[in-house]
Amino acid sequence: MVPTGLGLDLSLRSPDLELSQKSTSLFDSTGKRESFVGFENYRRAFDDPRFWKSLSNSFHYVLGSLILILSLSFMLAVNLQSLPRFWQTPLLFCLIIPGLAMPSVLSTLFYLFFHGKEGALNQYLIIPLGFEPINWMMNPDFIMPSMIMQSVWRWTGLVTMFFLCGLAGVPHWQLEVARMEGLGTWSKIRYLWFPAIRNLILFAGVFLAVEGVASFSGAYVLLGGSGGILDSGLLFITYVYQVAFPGGSGRFDFPTAAAMCFSVAPILAFGLYLILRVRAGPLSR
Amino acid sequence: MKKFASLIFLLFSVVIATYPFAWMFLSSFKTNDEIYQPTLFLPADYKWDAFISLFNASYLPFLRIFSNSLILSFGQAFLATLISAGAGFYLAKYKFRGRGLVVFLAIFLVLIPKQTLAVPTFDWISWLGWRGSLFSLLLPGAVSGIGVLFFLQVFRRFPQEWIDLARIEGMSPFRTYISLLPLVFPGLMTFFFLHFVLSFQEHLLPLLLLDDENMTLPLALATLKDSSHRIPESVGMAAATLSLLPILIMFSLVFGKMKTALREVTLS
Repeated sequence: MVPTGLGLDLSLRSPDLELSQKSTSLFDSTGKRESFVGFENYRRAFDDPRFWKSLSNSFHYVLGSLILILSLSFMLAVNLQSLPRFWQTPLLFCLIIPGLAMPSVLSTLFYLFFHGKEGALNQYLIIPLGFEPINWMMNPDFIMPSMIMQSVWRWTGLVTMFFLCGLAGVPHWQLEVARMEGLGTWSKIRYLWFPAIRNLILFAGVFLAVEGVASFSGAYVLLGGSGGILDSGLLFITYVYQVAFPGGSGRFDFPTAAAMCFSVAPILAFGLYLILRVRAGPLSR
Repeated sequence: MKKFASLIFLLFSVVIATYPFAWMFLSSFKTNDEIYQPTLFLPADYKWDAFISLFNASYLPFLRIFSNSLILSFGQAFLATLISAGAGFYLAKYKFRGRGLVVFLAIFLVLIPKQTLAVPTFDWISWLGWRGSLFSLLLPGAVSGIGVLFFLQVFRRFPQEWIDLARIEGMSPFRTYISLLPLVFPGLMTFFFLHFVLSFQEHLLPLLLLDDENMTLPLALATLKDSSHRIPESVGMAAATLSLLPILIMFSLVFGKMKTALREVTLS
């Protein structure tokens, strides 16, 4: 069974190999393969300004959500950790719920919360603080922040659980010593808690980055498969979908879409290199 | 005082995390007019019309879609757990040529999002002639790079002597693996659950591969809230509430085990 498992594991991903072949060849809509065209499809992808726009959007999306999620989860985990068990478990459970719901559900909820002037966010936060109500989904400056907020809301709970498990690994005597020495909160974070979950932070970071590049569902429902006003919410995968399938622009341009997919591989491989370099706990060998 | 502040901070976060779900559940009783006032929390009148219309398949064959999703996710999670645990065990405890390469490939799988391979997978499945059936989604979801790494880490904690002893006693690697499985039960449950959630949520591949008779829940939810506004919003809310139920039930069953398993993996 084990070799079979491995064989399946590898063979199932052979689209990956096929992808490199496909992105340098053309084939017509019947699926019959045509001649090898070298880097023509790559050239077409790279000449496309919307491709670059979508990549840069994805980059901002990933970076913004990474920073917010990791810092927020760390704060939550440290705070949760000092609570008695009786409180810890139900609070953590509630925090994780957004991570379990379907992204399309989350986007539906978000849409209504961000909806025009009447949205809950405007009513509860923006207007009481004395600002003009923001038209979240229509103003190109705010599409990306609202997408990032959605991702933060979704993932923070799960990441907090990972961190909390890591924090539980700090030996009890170390905490005792810290208490007796009268260590301040800041030094405790710096010398005890941060080192305990450094590897986990990296691991969660990589997971979130990959998830962010691949995120499709949320943006698809939020923006109806388009890129939003001025493409300011156009994520990488949404664009690949638009290029390849009739749901988008109807271009049916498989080879270019494949070339686009394959172009992000080096970026991800760089991530791999980083992990191996820093030797993240769960991934190191 | 400091305790108090941190409790307030946590409670505040919990409210932000859960308020929309409470609102969603209550919205399944509301009329469209009420739903379009997001600050309105309680409906004027509790009517179960939205749920009834789902079960009567007024708009979509909801029960069928629901069971499609459950079957698919259970199947994917089961296969993925079986395959990843086996691969992880073998990689952790046996030396063979190309082992490093396999681990590298597993890490690579984690880094390449499944969605970026959507186009070739689509082409590949069409070539096999499986497009449209549920079966077409079962296979691509049965592999998980992160699962292999997870179980690699889980099994690495076992002393090598046990494996050597088992070999001396004449046990095949497969027998050894089976007899060690109960020891990693929390890990198995955790991974099963996580994979279940991921495949339950998968949107892009079903959108490409399935035809309209074999929809899964994410597709149905997107259809229910299409732009035509033909269907009352409350139906979408009811469907969303129901879609959350199986996951919440499983989660409350697995929660304790999950913390044990994650602690084990993160400590080593």
